[in-house]
Amino acid sequence: MVGKDCVAIACDLRLGLQALTVSNNFPKIFSYGDVYLGLTGLATDVSTVADLFRYKVNMYRLREERQISPQTMANLVSSSLYERRFGPYFVSPVIAGINHTTGKPFICGFDSIGCIDFAKDFIVSGTASDQLFGTCEGLWEPDLGPEDLFETVSQALLNAVDRDALSGWGAHVYIIEKDKVTKRLLKGRQD
Amino acid sequence: MDSLVAQYTRPAEQQEGYFDEDQLELSQGSPQLSLKFALPPVANSSAWLRAMTDDYSNPNCPIKIAHGTTTLAFRFKGGIIVATDSRATAGNWIASQTVKKVIEINSCLLGTMAGGAADCQYWLAYLGMQCRLHELRHKRRISVAAASKILANLVYNYKGMGLSMGTMCAGVTPQEGPALYYIDSDGTRLAGNLFCVGSGQTFAYGVLDAEYSYDLSDEDALELGKRSILAATHRDAFSGGFINLYHVKEDGWVKHGFNDTNPIFWKTKLEKGEFSNVTSELV
Amino acid sequence: MASVFTAPPLADNGPGYSFKQTPTTHISADGTRQHSFYPYTDNGGSTLGISGADFTILAGDTRSTSGYNINSRYVPKLFKIGGEGPEHTGSSIVLSVVGFAADGDALKERLDTVVKMYKYQHGKNMSVAACAQRLSHILYNKRFFPYYVHAILGGLDEEGKGALYSYDPVGSYEREQCRAAGAAASLIMPFLDNQVNYKNQYIPASGYGHDLQPRKAELLPRNTVEELVRDAFDSAVERHIEVGDGLQMMIITKDGIEEVYSPLKKD
Repeated sequence: MVGKDCVAIACDLRLGLQALTVSNNFPKIFSYGDVYLGLTGLATDVSTVADLFRYKVNMYRLREERQISPQTMANLVSSSLYERRFGPYFVSPVIAGINHTTGKPFICGFDSIGCIDFAKDFIVSGTASDQLFGTCEGLWEPDLGPEDLFETVSQALLNAVDRDALSGWGAHVYIIEKDKVTKRLLKGRQD
Repeated sequence: MDSLVAQYTRPAEQQEGYFDEDQLELSQGSPQLSLKFALPPVANSSAWLRAMTDDYSNPNCPIKIAHGTTTLAFRFKGGIIVATDSRATAGNWIASQTVKKVIEINSCLLGTMAGGAADCQYWLAYLGMQCRLHELRHKRRISVAAASKILANLVYNYKGMGLSMGTMCAGVTPQEGPALYYIDSDGTRLAGNLFCVGSGQTFAYGVLDAEYSYDLSDEDALELGKRSILAATHRDAFSGGFINLYHVKEDGWVKHGFNDTNPIFWKTKLEKGEFSNVTSELV
Repeated sequence: MASVFTAPPLADNGPGYSFKQTPTTHISADGTRQHSFYPYTDNGGSTLGISGADFTILAGDTRSTSGYNINSRYVPKLFKIGGEGPEHTGSSIVLSVVGFAADGDALKERLDTVVKMYKYQHGKNMSVAACAQRLSHILYNKRFFPYYVHAILGGLDEEGKGALYSYDPVGSYEREQCRAAGAAASLIMPFLDNQVNYKNQYIPASGYGHDLQPRKAELLPRNTVEELVRDAFDSAVERHIEVGDGLQMMIITKDGIEEVYSPLKKD
C-alpha cells in the first residue's frame, strides 16, 4: 500500500494444510536490500522462490556493486516467473519499496507466470484477496503519512483475514520510508 | 415416455396461477412445519442436489450452504456440559462468527448443530414441536431417549436425500437422569458419555480425553468444555468466533455465556503459559 | 491467447461469476444422451443491510447481469412486503434478495402473499420476528430444490428497534447488526465488521501491549450508516464487475419506508 513518501507491506502468519493449521509463524515477506517481496501460495514454492531471488539479487549486487531498485526487481521477478511458463511456481508475489534514485514509492503485483500489475494505490494477493480488495478500497486514501499508513494497512489486513478461514493467526507489517524501515508484529485473532 | 409427458403436462385449468394445494397452504393462518418439500423435476434428485450444493464434491457449486463446526457435550457427576464454537463457513469464506449452535428445544432439552445450519435449525425446531405435543398428549415431559429417537427416525426417512447434520441431544428427566445422545443424518443414534462433532472434533477430543473424568466439579467441567473448544478453534480453520457454554442440571439448563475466543485465548496463553507455539514477541 | 478475452466464461472451471446458458448434453460411451438440468443463472449484484437503534437500512445495487453481459441497469433487489396496492402502502418490512433474480421474484411474491393473508385473517400486521421465521420455512420447503438466493429481511421489532435477519439459500437464519450478501459480499463484509462492529479497533492509550482495551460496538446514527452504505458500494463497484449502475436504499423507520435512489458508476 502506498502513502506519502512511504510504502507499507503486510502479511499474515498462517501456514496450513486445508483446515489444519500447521504453523502460526510463517512470515511471507522477504527483504532484498531495500526491496520487499511478499509471496502467497504453495508454501514450498514460497520458500523456493524466496531463496531463488535471494541468490539472484545477491548476484546482481555483486555484479553491479549497488542495491537493486524496486523497478528492476519487478522485471527480474516477472522474467524469472515467465521462464516457468508451462510449469509455474504456484505463487503470486507482491513487491514494495522506495526507489532511492527518484525517492518515489513503488508497488506492484504479479500473477503466477509473471504478468506485472502496476498500481498507484494498493496490491493484494492470496486466499483473502477478495476481502482485502474490499477493505483496502474502503479504507485507503491518497498521501497517508507513515503512522496513518500503518494503521490503514493493519486494519485492512486484520479485518480481511478475519473473514477468511485460511488466513490470519497474527501478522507482520513493514513501513518503508526513505531512510527507515519499521517492522511490527500485529496481535491478531488466533482462530 | 408417457410417464415423462405426464410429469410435465397438466390440465388446462392448472396451467395458470397457483395450484389448489398452494392456495390452501397460503390461506392457512398458522405457518406449519411442513413435511412436504418441493423436488426438482429430474430422475435422480439427490444427485442433482449434490451437484448444486455440495461444495466438498464440487467446489464450484453455485449454491453454497452454510456449514456449522466444532461442538462437544459430555456427561459428568454434576450433569451435562454442552459447548460449541460459533463460526459458519461457506467454502473458505467465513459467513458468520455469531451462529448460535446450541438450540434450546425446551427448558430441559438442548440440541447442538453441526453440518448444514438450516437442516439443524429446522429439524430441531420440528423436534421442539413434537416434544411439546408429547407433553400435551401424555401430561409429562418426553424422555431424552424418545426425543432423540423422533429425530433419528425422521432423518432416517430422508436418508440419501442430502440432509447433513451431526447433532447431540442433551437433557435431564426424572426417569433417566442426565442423558446424552448423538444423532447424525445417516440415521446413527448413540447414547454415550462424551461426544465431539464437527471438523474440529479431533482437536476437541484431544483436550477432552486427556482431562476428562466423571467426578469433575462443576467449575472444572465448564472450564474443560471451554478449553476443548478453544483448542479446536485455534487449530481448525473452520471453527472459531465465540464459545457458547451450557450446563444441563436436574432442574433444566443454565447458560454460561457466549464469549469471544480472542480474549479467552490470550488470557489462557499469557496467564497459564499454554499455546507457546504462538509468538507474542517480534523476532 | 486472444480467445481468453473473447470467449464466454466456462461453466465448470470458470472464475465463478457465470454459468453456461445452453443446456449441456452429455453423451456417454454407449451412446445414450443425457441432458443436464440447470435451472439457475447468477444475476450478480450485491445487497447490504444495517440496523440501528430505531431504523433499519437495506440497500442493493440495481445491475442485473448474466455472465459478462449486463441485462439491465435497473432491476431492483429490494421489495416492500405486505403493503396494499401498487405502492405497497402501509408496508413496514423489506425483503432484499440477491442471486438468481427469478427465484428472488418468486420468493418475494410468496412471502408477500403470506404476509397479506396473515393480515386479512388476524386483522393485524405480522411482526418481523414472525415474518422472519416464516421466510425461513418457505426457503426450507425447497430444501431439495433450493431457491438460489441470499435473502436479507429488515424491519422494526416489537420494541421499535431496528431488526435485521439474514438467510442462507435453504433457510438457516440469524438476527444480526449488519450483513452483506451477493457477489461483492466478500468485499463489503470485512469493511462493515471494521466500521460497524469496530472489529480490530482498540481505544487509544487505554493500556500498553496486551492491556489495550478493545473498542466496544455501539449503535450508529442514521446519517453515519447511510454514508457507510454509500462508501461500501462505491468500493465494491470499483473492484467487482457485477456491481454497479445504481444504488437503491430503503430506510425503515416508525414513520414507514423511505426509498432513496442514487447513481453508481456504470462501467
